[in-house]
Amino acid sequence: MEYFSPRTLNETLILMKKWKGKAELVAGGTNVIPDMRARAIKPQALIDISNLKNLSYIKEERKRIRIGGLTTVSELACSKVIQHYVPILSEASNQLGNPLVRNRATIAGNLADASPAADTAVPLLALEAEVLTNQRRVPIDQFFIGPNKTILKKDEIIKEIIFSKPNSNPKMGYFKLGLRNSMAISVVSVAILMEMQEKGCKKARIGLGAVAPTPIRAYRTEEMLVGKEITSELIEACSNEIAKEVQPMTDIRGSAEYRREMASVLLKRLIRKNIERK
Amino acid sequence: MNEKTELKIIGKPVPRHDAWEKAFGLTTYADDFSIPGMLVGKVLRSQYPSAKIISIDTSRSERLHGVKAVLTAKDVPRNETVTRFGQTHTMGGGFEGLYRVLADKKVHFMGEAVALVAAETEEIAKTALDLIKVDYQPLPGVFDPIEAMKPDAPQVEEGKSNIITHYEVVKGNIEEGFSEADVIVENTYRVPFVDHAYLEPESGVAWIDENGVITIRVSTQVIEHFRGIADILNLPHNRVRVIGTYVGGGFGGKEDITVETFLALLTFKTGRPVKLAYTREESILCHSKRHPYVMVYKTGAKKDGRLTALQAKLVSDAGAYVYLSPWVLLYSMVDAAGPYQIPHVKVDGYTVLTNNTFTSANRGFGAPQVCFAYESQMGELARRLKIDPLQIRKINYLEKGEALATGQVLEHHVALKETTDKASQGLGEKSSATENKKIGQGIASGMTSYGRMVFLHDTSRSYVSVELDGSVTIRTGIQDIGGGQASSLCQIVAEILGVPLGDIKIYIGDTALTPLAGTTTATRQLYMSGNATLMAAQEVRKTLLKKAGEMMRIDPERLDLVDREVVDTEGSGKSLSLIEVVKACASDGLPLYHVALFKAPFRNLTEYERIEGQVFPDFTFGTHAAEVAVDEETGKVEVLKLISSFDVGRAINPLSAVGQLEGGAIYGMGYGLTEEMIIEKGVILTPSLSEYLLPTSMDVPDVETILIESGDGVGPFGAKGVGEPSVCSVAPAIANAVCDAIGVRIFDLPLTPEKIVKAIKEKKEVR
Amino acid sequence: MKLIKTYTLEININGEWKKAEVSPDETLLYTLREKLGHTEVKEGCGKGDCGACAVLLDGKAVNACLTLALQAHKQKVITLKGIGTPENPHPLQESFVRHGAIQCGFCTAGMIVSAKALLDENARPTREEIKKAISGNLCRCTGYKKIIDAIEEASQKLRRTMNDKR
Repeated sequence: MEYFSPRTLNETLILMKKWKGKAELVAGGTNVIPDMRARAIKPQALIDISNLKNLSYIKEERKRIRIGGLTTVSELACSKVIQHYVPILSEASNQLGNPLVRNRATIAGNLADASPAADTAVPLLALEAEVLTNQRRVPIDQFFIGPNKTILKKDEIIKEIIFSKPNSNPKMGYFKLGLRNSMAISVVSVAILMEMQEKGCKKARIGLGAVAPTPIRAYRTEEMLVGKEITSELIEACSNEIAKEVQPMTDIRGSAEYRREMASVLLKRLIRKNIERK
Repeated sequence: MNEKTELKIIGKPVPRHDAWEKAFGLTTYADDFSIPGMLVGKVLRSQYPSAKIISIDTSRSERLHGVKAVLTAKDVPRNETVTRFGQTHTMGGGFEGLYRVLADKKVHFMGEAVALVAAETEEIAKTALDLIKVDYQPLPGVFDPIEAMKPDAPQVEEGKSNIITHYEVVKGNIEEGFSEADVIVENTYRVPFVDHAYLEPESGVAWIDENGVITIRVSTQVIEHFRGIADILNLPHNRVRVIGTYVGGGFGGKEDITVETFLALLTFKTGRPVKLAYTREESILCHSKRHPYVMVYKTGAKKDGRLTALQAKLVSDAGAYVYLSPWVLLYSMVDAAGPYQIPHVKVDGYTVLTNNTFTSANRGFGAPQVCFAYESQMGELARRLKIDPLQIRKINYLEKGEALATGQVLEHHVALKETTDKASQGLGEKSSATENKKIGQGIASGMTSYGRMVFLHDTSRSYVSVELDGSVTIRTGIQDIGGGQASSLCQIVAEILGVPLGDIKIYIGDTALTPLAGTTTATRQLYMSGNATLMAAQEVRKTLLKKAGEMMRIDPERLDLVDREVVDTEGSGKSLSLIEVVKACASDGLPLYHVALFKAPFRNLTEYERIEGQVFPDFTFGTHAAEVAVDEETGKVEVLKLISSFDVGRAINPLSAVGQLEGGAIYGMGYGLTEEMIIEKGVILTPSLSEYLLPTSMDVPDVETILIESGDGVGPFGAKGVGEPSVCSVAPAIANAVCDAIGVRIFDLPLTPEKIVKAIKEKKEVR
Repeated sequence: MKLIKTYTLEININGEWKKAEVSPDETLLYTLREKLGHTEVKEGCGKGDCGACAVLLDGKAVNACLTLALQAHKQKVITLKGIGTPENPHPLQESFVRHGAIQCGFCTAGMIVSAKALLDENARPTREEIKKAISGNLCRCTGYKKIIDAIEEASQKLRRTMNDKR
């Protein structure tokens, strides 16, 4: 096995091209190292990108926030910018793994690993974030294609995650249901972002984790929320709809049935908590 | 020594001597130790829970450069040994324990050891494992103990019944008991496989010393396994030496042989030192688990809550090998009726082989399982009869002088009423409910034995000596698994010999050099080795005071040892330095040391199936009280308050005693809420600590502990053992609290959020 | 036999620069324990589930088992032994001992590292903040209470020392 520690993105891309998928990128190592230990991956080379310092940033622009791929989950959790504008992302980051893991795990790594329960993916879906690679810009709801599978090609790397700052009176909420209060893989996680207007909301976006082969959006449920008064009937209808939109499976952490039900419960709670009822 | 004399250091929360070295990272745990020229050992394990081994081809592995040994069953001098149980006494009794080092013609559980390798590096050892080709023919297996009891079930061990043993407890006439009852509550309770999950995985280093002695430095609760290790090598017992390290957590999981025999074989065959350390995944895969039980309980009571009858049928899953299953079941049998006065009792217990991971000792040893059942039953009765949970227990609690259903009379203080009062006082008024959350409170009492079963004729030995300069040495085979086993002995000696703790050094856990003290199990060490050490120290004290009396011309009865001096307690002001007395004794050829042998009560079992009479030296009684907030929609449980009240007899070191209660409370909380070793058709589906969920710091309440010191234990200074008792009644206290919160009971552990949501729904549907 | 390519690691451990030959996939935990003699860093699970291997890497508390050795090249690592010694104990070590926060001791090294990282950043942690800071460190013996008490006391001690210095 060989090891490389490129200093620039260019160097990295050259290495990736040379090794044609037989090399593994390592940033925080919090997924790659356990995968190697379990022999799930057997790379012939490790390309350590943790020294690409210029890929670690949180930049606030007038209308957008741009996050470098190597920003750690700790940095996301503690960032004043993230906490202020998009607390669903800092909250999700704060509940990923545990503090030791958060100090190393990167946002790009979390997305590239593409667990159906990926913690940062859930709010990013609600934020309609885009993933900027060295080749293209991909909306995050097209980024995941299966459990631990993304659209990333073998010579492609995540450079940045971008999303617009929510405007016009945004309401948002995040909830992670796990079997313990730290070091828990989500049983169900939900993030919701609603941009409010006088009567109800003019835009709603819902991200969910651990209820489908990938982190998902709940498009139909979102549509139901637009342009109407948020009454308890509407909330009930949405929670019923989301139960139909999710495709959970049964595993050691929970049954599909329970997950379906929890998606409803959590959505209801988040809407109620964040939105006034009439 | 005058009993009314105030104790100088017993009862003081002094820091443990081993705590300092652990705080500085100086303790050499088993895997921290290395010897030049050391090989790395690894174990090849079965891929199937039940299969025939057609062939094993080790040729490629053996040829790999750097591989020094590849061993299979044929290379083990005595691959199978049969124990008739008890490390100290041979018994008959209708059941035997087969210990098989390496799988021979068949594999019986997934993870069973099939081959061993030793190589120059870890890399080479791993590759060597990959090069071993085992040809398996999968066989049908049986994975449910109740299925395994059926006559047509596949036999786990060829030619042997899957039913290892059956016991019964009979008191009075059970039919009569139920006919007298106004209400009968009948339920089936289920508890799962659970892992000890000590932070330190199993490991050790072995070598052959210059005298040809196979020496094994290992993390273990039982150094006495040196005999079993010698047996499998066909060596005399004095050619095997076990050196026990400070153990990074045991809880019963390092009670049986783990890596020792593998290490012994590899060093024996290669002639070189070998290290073998399990990975966490390997530890979970192949070491013992707590017995799952199916418990059918039927309890009858009068309208006023007085119990009239208790009938229970217990079936435990022994997994693929017997190990300690019959003993665990025996404990359950004695504890099955709970700490209650019940005129008619019938308990039947079975322990059954399956092709699951083998089960053996785990903190509580059969007591937590039945406690969950009997305290849930009491909770149900309280609900049915609309009697306060405290009240219904108090009118039924056993008292000192009364007998268990087995006939054993409780000869020492029974602190059930006090601990129940204190625990529920600690609980206080119910916290106010918040949105979506229901608050519930529950209590549970337990009785757990300390000290081993009396027909094992348990003994312990301790050596105490005073050096010529007045410093003190203790040598005893005790193993310290984190409960302060070693430091408690130092405190006892400091008390008796009147020397500062810092003047005492203790050497533990070496079969060649320390008098054997017996296993660190069964909550027995403070009782057994504490007493042995007390006796040894008292003998030395007697010698010193007698000589001092001569020198000072004072009656030795008036003298005391305080702060490195002999003082006259009757105020003459005369004193003598300890060193002067020591020197005088040495000069006169008087022994400045003593090896004491302490014996637990010895009884002989005449009948093996019906359990009657005294089984244990004594019991520790206590009560847990819990308040929970249950989220009705998600089912998540938050433990808001957890109170642990126990009669510890005497807290030799309150920090240690409280530490056991706090730690035991969380160990029990995990059992109640989040821990389940999911084994499906013999395959473990929770293979690492990501899937097997221990409580984290963010899951725990601040446990409140209330100690009672009755002084009526059989340990030194009236101490009782508390390591295991601290666990047993936690899960049922939480279960009773959850039931109080949601109005419906769940009959199996752990109480996962999903089960709670389901139970709430089913209750609504019934309405 | 295939030779594994190794690289020279230069690493500062507890103030001392050391060198080791390491393979690409070797973890910092392995190198510290097996090649550099730092067995005070423990392996409890090897994959970040237990925190026993926590060390400070450039001041941040991380799992050494989830860090490649080479990712610590030319960096500063602090282990338990760099936090305090018998000659110069850290208040955390003293508090842990005095409170009975050490039973089997296997989680202690990682716990104290996580606690140190917390106190370096937050001199007045609440109990909740302490619980959160050690929520990546499992303990099977103590139930965490005495550990939290010890960290609380150590933070008070450190604040008093800081104030005395002023």
